[in-house]
Amino acid sequence: MDPIVYVSLGAALAAGIAGAASSFGVGIAGAAAAGAVAEDEKNFKNALILEGLPMTQSIYGLITLFLILMVSGILGGGFKFKNPNDIDNIIKSAILLGAGLTVGLTGLSAIPQGIISAAGIGAVAKNPKTFTQGIIFAAMAETMAIFGLVGALIMIVTGVGF
Amino acid sequence: MEVTAVTGILDTTLALIFTWVGYKTTRILWKYTPYSYPNARIMAMEARLFSEQKFNELAESKTLNNFVINLEDSDYRDYLANLPSYDAESIDRALDKALAGIYSLMFKILPKRVNPFFRLLLQEWDVRNIASAVKAKIRGEPAVNYITDLGTMPQKVKAIADSKSMEEILVILEGTEYEEIYQKLLLGEIGVDEFETQLYKMHYSKLLEYAESRKDEEKVILKEFVRLRIDKLNILTILRAKAHGLKAELIKPSLIPGGTLNRKTIDTLLNVEDLGMALAELDSTKYGEIIRNVREEAERDLSVLDRELERYIRQRLRELTRFYPLSVAVPLNFLLQKEAEVKKLKAIAKLIEDGIPPERIKEIVGELT
Repeated sequence: MDPIVYVSLGAALAAGIAGAASSFGVGIAGAAAAGAVAEDEKNFKNALILEGLPMTQSIYGLITLFLILMVSGILGGGFKFKNPNDIDNIIKSAILLGAGLTVGLTGLSAIPQGIISAAGIGAVAKNPKTFTQGIIFAAMAETMAIFGLVGALIMIVTGVGF
Repeated sequence: MEVTAVTGILDTTLALIFTWVGYKTTRILWKYTPYSYPNARIMAMEARLFSEQKFNELAESKTLNNFVINLEDSDYRDYLANLPSYDAESIDRALDKALAGIYSLMFKILPKRVNPFFRLLLQEWDVRNIASAVKAKIRGEPAVNYITDLGTMPQKVKAIADSKSMEEILVILEGTEYEEIYQKLLLGEIGVDEFETQLYKMHYSKLLEYAESRKDEEKVILKEFVRLRIDKLNILTILRAKAHGLKAELIKPSLIPGGTLNRKTIDTLLNVEDLGMALAELDSTKYGEIIRNVREEAERDLSVLDRELERYIRQRLRELTRFYPLSVAVPLNFLLQKEAEVKKLKAIAKLIEDGIPPERIKEIVGELT
């Protein structure tokens, strides 16, 4: 494959996988929120906050997409790794693909986060005092996505540079 | 390294990663997504289950009119709204309807891959009603006193209770799965006790078969639930038989296969001399602890053990709910709690109608907890 394909794939996968995972996560938690609110409207506020947690992975994906497009020159200039026969270009574009993949795959944590949020919404509906604990449990899944983003930033900065 | 080799490694790695991630993600979504809406809704309903304080308030109602008023802010309001009269029987039927409403709701909101189980659970009320009505008919008692409005065929059950002859019941049961067993009873091939046992055996084999056909944790939870219920029925059958001094060969045909108690334990239980020894034999099983706590009372009155075993099943379901918050354990646990709540409400209504003082009602209802 050409370097342009790897770079584009990296950017697309970062935003695409993380975005899809977020939508699944929010979907699972959203269904639980609807169930809790159907029985008692007072659950709305707590359910809304828990439902929103799996959205952050899509933001990390979007940040990575912009970074990849910027460092490769696709955004704001000519593409820097045009020559497919230059091994350096292949390696740099592979690094960008890896960075995108890291954020995309760790962004999949949005799905289990949605599951945890759904369970948390159920727990809060039964006992509102468990709200803080529910947030903490769901936030645990967020750490993987943060690690992914940090890893991707290191890869981009040290492997390719601005 | 050649450029083509590098790109080849990258492409293969990508393909492998995506296949694995796609498979895992699909499985996770398939497993948990269908439970997120119903389980959150059920847990919100659990928050409205009555506390001990609420039962005490209801026990102090003094009249059935006040009892109904005290239930106005609850889920039972709609079912109690248009009662023709405030007597224990009408309230009883209204509460049965409320419970039937819960079963219907479970059937409606739970994932399709598991909701037939709740229909099967509702059929247990058909089995109870048919067995009770037929037994009452044979004894020459009014069958209508022994049936409830719960089940999948309340009209047929009512028709059985109102029937003039045993042959008429066969016509009513025609086309149902109970027809063949009833025919055997009518032809004198089996007695009324065996008729009841065969109904339960058929019902529990269907429940077990369904549980076995599920996958992963659904299978684990449903199987454990059904097997615990079978254990409860078998233990009580053996102990009641032992209390009446029946021999092993008479008890054995009444047992339902499929419980968690092993063959050796059941054989030993069947062959012990009396109730005391049977209770001692159960000491080494998982029910040992609960039996030890109520052994003396149970020797006098087996309904104590009935309640304890029911409580044990509820406790086990609660544990499963904690392990699997997005699973079928949550609706099952709720259903058991709701059944217990309805049972207590019916008891309170009956005791109020009988003019029992509130303090005594609280004691009796406390024992039911």
